[in-house]
This record gives sequence, C-alpha cells and structure tokens, in this order.
Amino acid sequence: MWINMGPQHPMTHGLWNLRVKIEGEIVKEIDPEMGFLHRGIEKISEDRHYNEVITLMDRTCYVAGIAWEHLYIQAAEQALHVTPPARALWIRVLCEEMQRIASHVMWYAAFVQDLGLMSPFLYGMRDRDLLLDHFQSFTGGRLTYEYMRVGGVRNDLPPGTTDRMRKTLDWLMDRFVEYDRLCMGSEIFRKRCDDLGVLKANDCIAYGVTGPMLRSAGVRRDLRKDRPYAIYDQVDFDMAIADSADVTGRYLVRMEEMRQSVRILRQVVDWLDKHPGPVMAPNLPRWLGAPYAPVGREGYLLKRNYPKGVGLSAIEEPHGEANAYVVNEGGEHPYRVKFRSPVYVNLSAAHKYLVGYHVADIPPIMGSVDVCVGEVDR
Amino acid sequence: MTVQSLYGVAALVAGGIAYLLPFLPPWLVTIIADVVFGAILLAASMINTIVLIWYERKLLGRFMDRRGAMHVGYAGLLQNFADGLKLFRKNTYKPREADSLGFYGGPTAYMVSSLVIFGILPISTGWDNGSLPLSLLLALVIFSFAPLFIFLSAWSSNNKYSLMGGMRSAAQMIAYEVPILIAVVAVVVLSGSFDLTTIVSEQRNYWFALPLFLALIVFVAGMLAEMERIPFDLPEAEAELVEGWNTEYGGMLFAFFMLADYLRALIGSILIVLLFLGGWTLPSYVPAALTSFPLAGIFWFMVKTYLVFGVFVWVRASLPRVRTDQLLRVGWMRMVPLALVSVLIAAAVVAAHCLPVLGCVPGLGS
Repeated sequence: MWINMGPQHPMTHGLWNLRVKIEGEIVKEIDPEMGFLHRGIEKISEDRHYNEVITLMDRTCYVAGIAWEHLYIQAAEQALHVTPPARALWIRVLCEEMQRIASHVMWYAAFVQDLGLMSPFLYGMRDRDLLLDHFQSFTGGRLTYEYMRVGGVRNDLPPGTTDRMRKTLDWLMDRFVEYDRLCMGSEIFRKRCDDLGVLKANDCIAYGVTGPMLRSAGVRRDLRKDRPYAIYDQVDFDMAIADSADVTGRYLVRMEEMRQSVRILRQVVDWLDKHPGPVMAPNLPRWLGAPYAPVGREGYLLKRNYPKGVGLSAIEEPHGEANAYVVNEGGEHPYRVKFRSPVYVNLSAAHKYLVGYHVADIPPIMGSVDVCVGEVDR
Repeated sequence: MTVQSLYGVAALVAGGIAYLLPFLPPWLVTIIADVVFGAILLAASMINTIVLIWYERKLLGRFMDRRGAMHVGYAGLLQNFADGLKLFRKNTYKPREADSLGFYGGPTAYMVSSLVIFGILPISTGWDNGSLPLSLLLALVIFSFAPLFIFLSAWSSNNKYSLMGGMRSAAQMIAYEVPILIAVVAVVVLSGSFDLTTIVSEQRNYWFALPLFLALIVFVAGMLAEMERIPFDLPEAEAELVEGWNTEYGGMLFAFFMLADYLRALIGSILIVLLFLGGWTLPSYVPAALTSFPLAGIFWFMVKTYLVFGVFVWVRASLPRVRTDQLLRVGWMRMVPLALVSVLIAAAVVAAHCLPVLGCVPGLGS
C-alpha cells in the first residue's frame, strides 16, 4: 500500500512529499518528492544587487537564516575582492553560532514532538526565543535578519549585548542538562531511537551526506575544523562525534554541538569586549548599494572599472556543509549564484536509512535528519 | 419565550410531578426516578468531563512552563465550553466514499458505550444505581466495546491513515484487556466480590493499592493503553498517522470522539480509585472529622479521581510515545506475568487472613 506522507503532513516539517510503500507496518520502498517550495532563489539572485541577495538568503533556510547570509557574504566578498574588518568577522561568527544553537534547539523541539514528547517542545521554543531576542537587539529581526553586508555587518552590537549574552549562555547550559535528562534519561526514548535509521560511514561518504549525520557515523569532518573560515582557527572548541550512526547518535552530536557553540560564543564575546573597531570595510564601491557603508570620495569606484572575480565559500551550516558560488562578471548584479544545500543531499540518501523500519519510525528518523525544506528547494 | 418563562415551565412540571408522586403507581415512580437520576448523572458526567479537559490543559500548561487556557471565564474555565460550542456549530463533513452507517454510527456508539458505564459506577454511599452484584464485570465489559467501534469508524471513513490507526487501536486495546482483567481478578480475590460497592467497603482498613501494588501498576499501564494516552497514544500518533482513526472526522463527530476519550479517561481514573484507592472512603483510622462533613464521600471521591488523572497528565507531559511492536511486547511479556504474580499475592494475603502491619479485613473471615 502506497501512502503519501505529505505535502501537508505533520512529519514533513515543511512542504515535501514522502511516498511510502508499506506492508503492514514495515516500510518497503520510499520515494521522496521535493520541489513544492521552489522559489527560484538562485535565478532571482542574478537580478539583484549584491546586498539585496541577503534578503533572499534569510528565506532560503528559515531556521538558520544568518548562517546562509554568512555563506553568501563570504562568497560575494571573495568575488568582489572585499576584505571585511576583523570585528565584523567575529560578529559574524557570533551570529552563526547563535544561529546554530537556535537551529539545533528548534530541531530538538520538533524532533521530540515527533516522538510524542510535548513538554520539551515548548521548552525548546522557550529557550530559542532567548537567542532570537538577542538577534532582535542587534539586527532588528527575529527570523529574517538582513544583517550582514558585503564588507562587514550592518551595525555594531549595542552596548551591554555581551553581558546579556553571557547570562543567556549560562542559562542555556543549564537547560541542556535538562534536555538530556528528558531524553537520554528516558528508557522509552532510548528504545525508540537506538539502532534506528542507521546510515554507516561509507554510505554517508558515498551519498555526500554531511553535518551531524556524518559526524554521528564517526567521521571526523567539520568545516570549522578542517577548513577554518572567518575566525574559527582562533577559537578553541572540539568536534562533536558519535559512532552509533543512528538517531541517538545524531541527537548526541547535536547536543554536544550546542555545548561547543556555547564554548565558542563565550570566547567570541570576550574578544568582542576587548577589541572595539569598525564593522564595515572602508572604501567600498558605492554601487554596491550598502546603505550604511561609509563611502568616501577616494573609495568611489566606477563599476566598469571594477575587477571581475569568482567567489566560492563553504561553511558548516547547522544542517551540514553548505557551499555558495558567486560569479562577478562586472556590473551591479552577480552573474551567477549557486548553492549546495546539505539537507537536499542528506534527503537523497533517504532510502538507505528508511527502508526496513516501521511506519512509526519515520517521524523520528526524518526528524533526526533535520529537514529544512526552504533550503532543499531554494 | 424568554428564559424566565422556560424556568417557570420547568418548575411547574417538576412541582407537578412532585405533587403527583404519591398518587402514581410504583412502576411509574421508578421510571421517573430513573430518568431523573439518569439526567443528573449525564449532566454530571459531561460537566466533569469538560472540567477534566480544563484540568488537563492547566496542568499540562504548568508542566510545560506556560499557563494553559486563560481567556474565557475565570482562569479559562469556560474555554472548553466555548470550544465545544464552536465544534457544535461546525459542518460535519463525510468523505464521499465513506460508509454512512459506520461513519456516523461509530462515534455515536463509542460515545454512548462510554456514557453507559457511568450508570454502573457507584460514586458514594447511597449514590449508586442499585447495587449490582456483578457491576465491576459489567463496567469492564462495556469498557471493552470501544475497539470495535473505533475500528468500525476507522474502516468506514475510507482513509489509509484511519485504517492503520484503527488496526493499531484494536490490537492495542485487545492486548491490554488481558492484563487489566487479570489485575482485576487480584482485586476480586482479595475482596471476594464483583460488586464495586462491596469492593470499596472491603477497603475500610487499608487500600488495596498497598498489598496489590503490582496489580495497581499493571492496571494503570493498561488503562493508559485503553485510554490511548501518551505514551500509548499510537493509534492517533499525530506525527505519522496525522490523527489516526479520527483523521476524517470534524465538527461534532470529532467532539464525540474527544468527549468519549475523556469520558473513558474519567472512567479509568474512577475505576482505579474504586478498585485500589478506597473509593469514597478513607481508612478507618483517620480522624472522623475528615469524613463526617456533608458530602464527604463525594468530596474524597472527586479529589482522588482528579489526583489519579493528574498522574496521567504528568505521564503525558514527560514520556515519549512507544512503538506498536514494543507496546504489544510489553503488554504480553511484562504486563501479563506481573498481573499473574499479583493474583498470587492476593491469594497469599487471603490465605494469611491478616497483613502484618495493616491488620485484618473483617470480610475475610478472620
């Protein structure tokens, strides 16, 4: 019997269709259908100014908007030959790590809700709000930030942010203990998640699966360590690794990542306290249209004179490795923008980790993949 | 016709009946008394069910670090009445291919079969609908009708999710009937009666929860499965089956399912109180002041029932859902042996006549 789980189904966490062939309660065959949320973001980007694409990046992944801004900005800066000041880099990492925690907490909330645990869902949403409050205090947005700019970030942090941040981090560390007690301390949770949705290391590598799914299979691969971008080589943190390759492993990896993110954030906050400075690069070309960019007379570059370039960036997004490719052929708009969505690749291996399990196992397994349909369809 | 005149007509009818009572033949008086008692019972059970939903929402809210319903009425007390009115006003929609008889008959029968049990359960001394010698058995038999009606409505709504939910529901309820009945046998062995009133009065020295703690655990777990509440709510697991067997139901038909679910939750809590927690009585050695005020029996009965239901809410707030095969394995391989052991314990207690600390039960012929 074929059943359609989606496009509107509580399991999907978005807008996609998982067609499942079942015999009794056992999954025999699956057929994921994606593309319901395709908005043509890559094509629209070709028709926008470099800084206008940032708005689209927030819509690409609606739970990790600023990570995608970071991804695009790095590629765009490389293509445009712009070097941001150091403080901007640290603020970007601050944003990305905050977003990683917010995204993982959101994942935790949705994942346990799929297992029928309702209270941690609300705990997760509550704790995520704290981080969103911080985002609001310096970007103005809670979900779509439009904060990063080619050449830096839009504005500096308001005074007192770092102190408030430290308090939030302390509070979050206590909550993570609570999360673990609710999940790993529950025998039913372990029974539901152990040896479920197993995707071994060689399968992960063969299918290009990245992120927490890859690390839960025991592969030491984290772009922040392997190919440090921004200032990740200057902060001290450990890679989160598990070796069970199942849902529990992914849970453990994400939990550990949140703790490591807190560790990174503490260092970033300390650095930001000690090093005030500009957050935008000087001498930006005026046609970039950066509304808050300090544009001096001497920095005025005509676009016909501007050198061409190609930008390629890869970051460890909360869901996995995301790549961006930006081509600057001269002119106000990028000539071509291309993204690699980690979730799309992770989903393409779905038959490896879904077939053979029960229907009731589909929500936790798909929950452990952390699907964000916005970036799958783009 | 204004509301006042409606009241007036009702008072006139009631007064007339009361005036005529001495002149009516006895069988008619019995019928009138039964109808009035039934109406009071129906109203009481429905109001209790709705308050139970409010209680669960508030309690869940506290467990989840929020406040629950707050806006309609004081602390949201009237919220569920408002929700009920909303559901009442909604159009009920039947899928074209659905079978009418099953689609409409299933929820109705489910609701009615749940309501009937309230006619059997005693609430306090003098508040029972006659002392039936086999009332416990009758209540459990009617309680176990439910899988049939759920499966009927699931199958007839012509939806794959509904069908799967109905199958799961039937499998789960039938599997957990067995340990529940065996656990009840332990109670029956200890009290020597199938009559709920007698079972309660046999607990005047100690509650059966003390010697039959195992049976209590089995009974509570079984009741959780019968009520289809988390962690055993897999027939309506919304994550994979949307809403399980009531996916296709909306409006008042959904309200029937919802109400019947909470009715069954209330019945389950009441059965636990009656069988294991002394019903409306407190142990004989508590101060008499606690049990001598007016309606003390009903008061303690309600307190206990709501506390037991609070435990169910607590479980719901803290446990994830289990899987079908795990549920059935636990049912057959853990619950049934535990229930059998508790029957042995009951037999041992009866054989020993008296418990070391708790003393003797007069009914056991000590």
